[in-house]
Amino acid sequence: MSFLEVQHLRKSFPSPEGGESLVVDLERFSLESESLCGMKGESGSGKTTFLHLLAGILKPDNGSIILNGRDISQLSEGARDRLRAESVGYVFQSFNLLQGFTCLENVLLATSFAGQANKTWAKELLDRVGLSRRTNYYPRQLSVGQQQRVAVARALANRPQLVLADEPTGNLDPKNSHKALSLLKELCRENGSSLLLVSHDEKVIESFENQFTWEELNQAPSSAAEE
Amino acid sequence: MFRSRFTVIALLAWRGLKQHAFSSFVAVFTISMAGGLFLGTWKIKEETQKAFTNSSGGFNGVLGARGSKLQLILNAIFHMEASPGNLPWEQYELIRDNRGVKEAYPIAVGDNYHGYRLVGTLPDLFQQHEWKAGRKYEVKGGGRIFSENAKEALVGNFAARKLGFSIGSKFHPYHGLDFDETKRHEETYVVVGILEPTGTPSDKVIWVPIKGIQHMEDHDPAAADSVSAVLLVLRTAAGFQLDMKYNKQGNQATLAWPVAATLASFFDRLSWFEDILALVAFFVALVGSLIIFATLRTVMNEKKREYAILRCLGASRLVVTCVVLAQSLFLSFSGLAGSFLAYGGIGFTAARLIREQTGVVMDPLSLVSPGPKNPNDTFWTTVEPFLPLLTLVLGIFLIGFVSGLLPALQAYRSSLSENLSPKS
Repeated sequence: MSFLEVQHLRKSFPSPEGGESLVVDLERFSLESESLCGMKGESGSGKTTFLHLLAGILKPDNGSIILNGRDISQLSEGARDRLRAESVGYVFQSFNLLQGFTCLENVLLATSFAGQANKTWAKELLDRVGLSRRTNYYPRQLSVGQQQRVAVARALANRPQLVLADEPTGNLDPKNSHKALSLLKELCRENGSSLLLVSHDEKVIESFENQFTWEELNQAPSSAAEE
Repeated sequence: MFRSRFTVIALLAWRGLKQHAFSSFVAVFTISMAGGLFLGTWKIKEETQKAFTNSSGGFNGVLGARGSKLQLILNAIFHMEASPGNLPWEQYELIRDNRGVKEAYPIAVGDNYHGYRLVGTLPDLFQQHEWKAGRKYEVKGGGRIFSENAKEALVGNFAARKLGFSIGSKFHPYHGLDFDETKRHEETYVVVGILEPTGTPSDKVIWVPIKGIQHMEDHDPAAADSVSAVLLVLRTAAGFQLDMKYNKQGNQATLAWPVAATLASFFDRLSWFEDILALVAFFVALVGSLIIFATLRTVMNEKKREYAILRCLGASRLVVTCVVLAQSLFLSFSGLAGSFLAYGGIGFTAARLIREQTGVVMDPLSLVSPGPKNPNDTFWTTVEPFLPLLTLVLGIFLIGFVSGLLPALQAYRSSLSENLSPKS
């Protein structure tokens, strides 16, 4: 059995016109342990919803998501919170750093909910992403590229088994984009984490050995505006 | 700091408020004012009443002209208000010689020096009378009590300080109880002594021989053989008899006895004022509560995404809810601390004003005033002195809890996925 196994996954949302709008309809998806995988998809096609389902942020209408032998779709909300705290790292397109907290505190917070806060490890991570001199800076005092590097460090802080990255280079220029991507891959390899990165950018996806398109997987009659 | 759930919640709450420092400050300030007003209205009234009752200078009765007992007491003991009239000297002698009267001292008023009253009396008052059990008046080193027939003054401690008097200072009295520089008497008085402080109204009086007031230039010669009032220490049984004699059967004088009961009924009559202040405090507290509510709603709305990020990092709904509730409790308990500061400010100002106006010294910092232990004390009598404090603490806790409840519920119910705003 693969590290991550998804079967018969369906998720719909209430549509403004009434009724339900099917956003995710996926028969089967799997991810091997420690594999790095890129998934291409158009904006608004349901990729983020898929990642939210994998992270346990959303609960599917149907189907199973088995992560390391546990079916996330059957877990209570509290258990899914704990799962995220302990086993999942998430990188957002817009970084989503907490503005009232320093870089170091942002990284430490990611470990605190699993009860694993470790200042030395958080500093090591910031050092690893080249921000050892900026640990006490607030996000607003950093460049966009530096903010994304903090976000990468934060996603790896709880030593997750699965890292989900949602358009992590979407707001970066090509140079910073390349840097952030390399760093993310390197850190996942070092940590033994599996990475699933989604992007609409072909160049980003082409840098992965394992790559596929969301449209191949998702059978929902979908389209961008439906989310 | 990040190891315990409790400290993480506290940190998140604190940083959230720090980002809305101004609104948070306004909320804390409003709660502080409400709490300070509440404590102020409750405790200052109680302390004032206690201070006044304990400041009757060791007298339990006053004999004066026919009229209001309260006016008599305020004029003769607290040196406030106008004198209700005069009594013939014979009335003083008559009551002095009554077997039920332990002590009797005549006083005469009618002059001032820069607003501080000149009160004429006999030197015996300072030689024999105990203004508090076991405490007689003491004259500061180098001074003495005035002589009965000289133009000499013994000055209360507070008045001496305010007027800059020292032994040997000379002054001209002014006619009337209120200062009017056109009404200066030609007589010159010399300060021969300054009293040690007593914390009673006598501290703000310039004491002179009674004959001095009676025979002051420009005073009505008909008043030369009269007194404004007689300060009394009565034996309890005699109090009832004399009350009957002067107040119920006679029509020439009024006996205000017992002084404490008259003062208590005066304070009871002021309870409407206390009610109004309590109402003001209630409305200020309501405004404070609404400000906390509005602040937390604003914080909540602005932080929806931040809370969603925390949820994404693994924080449970309960953690996020606790952060909002902690913010609300933090604001309200900061308000509680501010209440004590505000109460201190109000208390000191009130104590200073009361001291200046009446000479009565009250303790502005006394928050609880338990009486001496008594074997018959019930649970209620033990708890009662702490009631204002308990009400304040519980009230502010309630304000914090209730005003934080709705935003906390909003945080609890907010959708994680929606607030992360999926874009693709």
